[in-house]
Amino acid sequence: MANFLAQFQSIKNSCDHLVIAVEDVSDLWPTIKTGFEERLPFRRACLNNKTRNSVFLEKLPAEFILTTDARLRSRFPQEQSLFWFREPYATVVLVTCEDLEEFKTILKPRLKLIVQNDEREWFIVFVSKAAPNNDQATKSAKKVYAKLEVEFSSKKRERCCKLDLHCPEASFWEDLESKITECIRNTLDRRVQFYEDEIRKLSEQRLLPVWNFCNFFILKESLAFMFEMAHLHEDALREYDELELCYLETVNMSGKQRDFGGVEHGDDQAALLNPGNKPLTQIVQDDSFREFEFRQYLFACQSKLLLKLKRPFEVASRGYSFIISFSKSLALHEKILPFCMREVWVLTACLALINATASQHNGVVPPDVEKEFYRLEGDLYSLCRVKFMRLAYLIGYGTDIERSPVNSASLSMLPWPKPPVWPSVPPDSSSKVLEKEKLILQTVPRVKHFGIERKPLPLEPTVLLREANRRRASLSAGNVFEMFDGHIGSVDGSGPDASIRTSPSQRVRASAMPRTNSSPGNFDNSIDRPMRLAEIYVAAEHALQQTISDADLWKSLSSLEEFEQKYLELTKGAADNYHHSWWKRHGVVLDGEIAAVCFRHGNFDLAAKSYEKVCALHAGEGWQELLAEVLPNLAECQKILNDQAGYLSSCVRLLSLDKGLFLTKEREAFQSEVVRIAHSEMKDPVHLDVSSLITFSGNPGPPLELCDGDPGTLSVTVWSGFPGDITLDSFSLTLMATYNADEGVKALRSSIAIVLKPGRNTITLDLPPQKPGSYVLGVLTGQIGHLRFRSHSFSKGGPADSDDFMSYEKPARPILKVFKPRPLVDLAAVISSALLINEPQWVGIIVRPINYSLKAAVLHIDTGPGLKIEESQVIEMESYADVSQANADIKLGDGAQIGTLDAEKHFERLTLHDGKIDLPDWASDTSSILWIPVCAINDTLTRGSSSDTPQRQSIVDGLRTIALKLEFGVSHNQIFERTLAVHFTDPFYVTTRVTDKCDDGTLLLQVILQSEVKATLTIYDAWLDLQDGFIHTGVGDGRPTSCFFPLVISPGSRAGVLFTIRLGKTNAEDESKAVQPESILNIRYEIYGDRSTGAHLPVAVTSSGPDGSKRDLIFRSAIVLQRPVLDPCLAVGFLPLPSSGLRVGQLVTMKWRVERLKDFEEKIVSQNNDEVLYEVNANSENWMIAGRKRGHASISTKQGSRIVISILCLPLVAGYVRPPQLGLPNVDEANVSCNPSGPHLVCVLPPVLSSSFCVPVDS
Amino acid sequence: MATTACFIIVSRNDIPIYEAEVGSAAKREDAAQLHQFILHAALDIVQDLAWTTSAMYLKAIDRFNDLVVSVYVTAGHTRLMLLHDSRNDDGIKSFFQEVHELYIKILLNPLYLPGSRITSSHFDTKVRALARKYL
Repeated sequence: MANFLAQFQSIKNSCDHLVIAVEDVSDLWPTIKTGFEERLPFRRACLNNKTRNSVFLEKLPAEFILTTDARLRSRFPQEQSLFWFREPYATVVLVTCEDLEEFKTILKPRLKLIVQNDEREWFIVFVSKAAPNNDQATKSAKKVYAKLEVEFSSKKRERCCKLDLHCPEASFWEDLESKITECIRNTLDRRVQFYEDEIRKLSEQRLLPVWNFCNFFILKESLAFMFEMAHLHEDALREYDELELCYLETVNMSGKQRDFGGVEHGDDQAALLNPGNKPLTQIVQDDSFREFEFRQYLFACQSKLLLKLKRPFEVASRGYSFIISFSKSLALHEKILPFCMREVWVLTACLALINATASQHNGVVPPDVEKEFYRLEGDLYSLCRVKFMRLAYLIGYGTDIERSPVNSASLSMLPWPKPPVWPSVPPDSSSKVLEKEKLILQTVPRVKHFGIERKPLPLEPTVLLREANRRRASLSAGNVFEMFDGHIGSVDGSGPDASIRTSPSQRVRASAMPRTNSSPGNFDNSIDRPMRLAEIYVAAEHALQQTISDADLWKSLSSLEEFEQKYLELTKGAADNYHHSWWKRHGVVLDGEIAAVCFRHGNFDLAAKSYEKVCALHAGEGWQELLAEVLPNLAECQKILNDQAGYLSSCVRLLSLDKGLFLTKEREAFQSEVVRIAHSEMKDPVHLDVSSLITFSGNPGPPLELCDGDPGTLSVTVWSGFPGDITLDSFSLTLMATYNADEGVKALRSSIAIVLKPGRNTITLDLPPQKPGSYVLGVLTGQIGHLRFRSHSFSKGGPADSDDFMSYEKPARPILKVFKPRPLVDLAAVISSALLINEPQWVGIIVRPINYSLKAAVLHIDTGPGLKIEESQVIEMESYADVSQANADIKLGDGAQIGTLDAEKHFERLTLHDGKIDLPDWASDTSSILWIPVCAINDTLTRGSSSDTPQRQSIVDGLRTIALKLEFGVSHNQIFERTLAVHFTDPFYVTTRVTDKCDDGTLLLQVILQSEVKATLTIYDAWLDLQDGFIHTGVGDGRPTSCFFPLVISPGSRAGVLFTIRLGKTNAEDESKAVQPESILNIRYEIYGDRSTGAHLPVAVTSSGPDGSKRDLIFRSAIVLQRPVLDPCLAVGFLPLPSSGLRVGQLVTMKWRVERLKDFEEKIVSQNNDEVLYEVNANSENWMIAGRKRGHASISTKQGSRIVISILCLPLVAGYVRPPQLGLPNVDEANVSCNPSGPHLVCVLPPVLSSSFCVPVDS
Repeated sequence: MATTACFIIVSRNDIPIYEAEVGSAAKREDAAQLHQFILHAALDIVQDLAWTTSAMYLKAIDRFNDLVVSVYVTAGHTRLMLLHDSRNDDGIKSFFQEVHELYIKILLNPLYLPGSRITSSHFDTKVRALARKYL
């Protein structure tokens, strides 16, 4: 049956569509042919697939062929059954007849004869030639057609249709199409059934020795081809898949060893997409096919169908795995194949697949499929690229292949090709060898930048020189088996078990087979000595030239430039496709390879861009070892491009890589580059991020705490990743407030150059006063030469340089806390009771630090008006235990020093300079009292008052202020100001009273002394300097009896002294003295008090205490004594009030009568004698006065004239109150006689209860 | 034991946090880098495959000549990747599972910052012991 192969193939090639036979009974075809053929190809045909499911086809091509055609006639019946797929699928019988009789006698028997063949699907088309206007003809045609239907159609199946030649019915064509489709469907079903049965029969015999794969193949492919003709591509594909499976099963069956194939010229070019590459007859062997060609053929058929189905993705995916598995097969048979056949085949196969699929791919597929498609394309490209590099290496272009991880990984793990014998140097090639030799010598091993010394990554699995010579040596030694040891121990993943299964004898046979034409027969002359590398290259080149039949591919390998061009093309293709498939790692790594080529060609711009991508990928993912490989290249590009910023940042990145990745020497080289550039002339200032290299953090432990406004020093730990010392010309660090974002950042600067040692450094920075809040470290900036750098990273607790670490975002630890303003110190006066006025007194000021050191504090003291500091006296300072703090029962009154519990008692004398005191160190943390001698000055003499109208002195008179300003803090930046009020007073408050008036004019004057101070007063003496008009009784000076002295007055108590005086003129000698308007009370006294409580001994007295000569204190007070009215001129009488009494809120008229008692001549000088000035005085709290309080009233100068002055008053409070008083300011008091003579009280009743008049109780 | 095996733990941010050459073969000095390169490239495949299955053990996902990359993805998307030349699938699975447990113990350490490099020598010893046992 294998004989039919040729015929089968020619049939296959000649017909690619279904055939419909036309049985032209009545010679009608020429007339209707056009109409029929216009319907082709059939649209919307419905066929059954192999599983008998309906499949709708958009397009079904077919051809009408007359049964009389030679193509249908000249077939033998035997052929028909074998190649049944090409037989007509339907038979259309064309008839016409206008006469019923003729139909019966001639046509019917003939038709019966035609349709009796059951195998054929047929139907009859009755063509009516009758003209539409010819009713007769039409009628008879109808009759004939009816008869025809009766004869040939059955209930089951309509087999007739009628075509009106002149006016065809619209439905006819549809009818025709459906009938043809039905026929095709039926035929197809029957034939599929037939083939299936046949195939099943053959399959059952598969294990029998007589089984012939060719037969099976023809049947199977016939079926597949039939499906293909019927456009049932899916089914066809399935058949091919089954065929392939079956083939792979049988081909590997033991005992059926066949030739592999692939030794013919041109076989190196993969034909996996070209089913017609070789006729089947050429690849058939015995009862089967050669694997090399046949598997490619099958794949080509499959891919053709897949492409028809518009599934380029599937082509690529199947193709990729096909290439991989086929490559393994090639490896198994490498012994018999030409040198590097496998590599070349894979290369061409990949390229063919890429070309075929990429052009078919139109992007209207789901995104994930598209992604996968690009991934496959990338894989294909990269496979292709690897093989291409391997070939290039073999012919000596290895120096141009970048020894990068990707190339090394692909090539160094890929075993060398294993030809039975390594090709030897062709004759007459010494010039070529010399050339290669020169090339090898010329290539300078590429020096890595920065003098990095690293063993270059290998591109070869083992040294080529040794491998090649070993393979040759084994032959010369005649050791056949050694040739295979590489094969048996092969690690190329091609399945060692497969080779083990191969029996040794076969291997011998294989090796003994005539070699390919790649190995010329001149073994002998070159076996003797080992080949040199250049010779190996030349030999490989020569052998490859024999192997490679593709001119383009050979051209790509013919020169270095061509090689590079192709290499770039493949690399770019792989990279682009990987990028499209989102396999960024694959893509970017290949970008790096492109960069390497660009770099070699001086295209540094492009190279830098690509290298940057690679570096970004590796750096971003933290694969430092990979980064260390690429980064120096990038740096070199940037250096050449004079991209200083980029170059510096690359150097910094190199420095910040793991220390183990580079030698110290190399790292020092990086640093010296940075320093060199930093100190060179830079066009633009470069900003460099050194976050990974210089890191910093605050010192461990609690943050520095400062009070508001205090400066400080901040100590920061800086780690330097530089391998050597590096000098930072300036350095600044920002502080960021944690709470207050809009506060901005504060930079702390250190202007002096700092040398950072490798590793940990501690740097101290001055910290100016900051606003309250808590601060974290922000950014470190600085300058190295002209280079500005900045670093953001905070700490090196963990792997600070990784992204991952940052993503956890350690909460930045505050480094500085500045507290809100709070009182840091308190200044207070020690006492609240009054001190002696006009005497030097100690004023105690408590200086109390509140958790803040007052070291080197300065106190400015500025006294207010009326107060001066006794400069002559030193200032005393002593420590002070706060009563509230100590909680001790300190006796205040006994004069003991406060704070006796305090074990360490400090006392110090200080002096005042320019109003400033420097506080001693011991007072910096403890409370202390500062005793300042001051003297309040009051020039006015105190005035005693009558006990009837006691007029207390205003307390304000004794108030003095001391303005204090305390400067403290580290640099006297803290200022505390306070003004203290100190109350000063006289020791006594004097009131006087005339207790008795004797007949002889002697008056008993009682002087009441009220102690005003919290101190014990001792009175030693008291005397009275009387005013004019009064004299002491007796001859003495009017002192009280001395035996009463000393008189002790306790704090707050009162004492009285009685003087007897009388009216009278002083004697003549006294007249010379100025007339005293008032009497002066003099009291000599002593004071015993504690300065911590109040008034005390004046400072000077205290100081002069030891010598005993005490200077007693003198208190003087003026007392006004009023002489009785001796010469009344006017009398003022208070007229009685209404009897109803006074009520609050009720108006009342107060009346006074003024009467002139006599003319007083002294006043004649006064012009307006007839008028007196009056004035009404009333306590405004008690009275409301309506009308004029002060005015002139006219009173006649005649004796006895009188007037009444009345004033409307409103009492405001109930009780006994003093009524308003009428005074006459112009008239001497001595001339006015009053009635009643002294102050008196009137009774004011509470208001009448009334709803309309309420006085608030509070007011 | 496998002659060549390189074990790497890759954090969910694609950063290698632990590396160990656990093969019994004499080390080629350049091997580490090549292994790293191969495993790094295999991340591309893991990224596609990890979401297609609910199993943590992805089996062999990539093949590089005769070397195979097996991957185990934890729930936190940390990837345990092993480059090896042995075919002992069950052993590799057990190896991964036990290393996963070790890794979880590391994670439980409050002083360990997830995603940072694993520097524990104890972990290293254990991993190597597991490799001897299973691979």
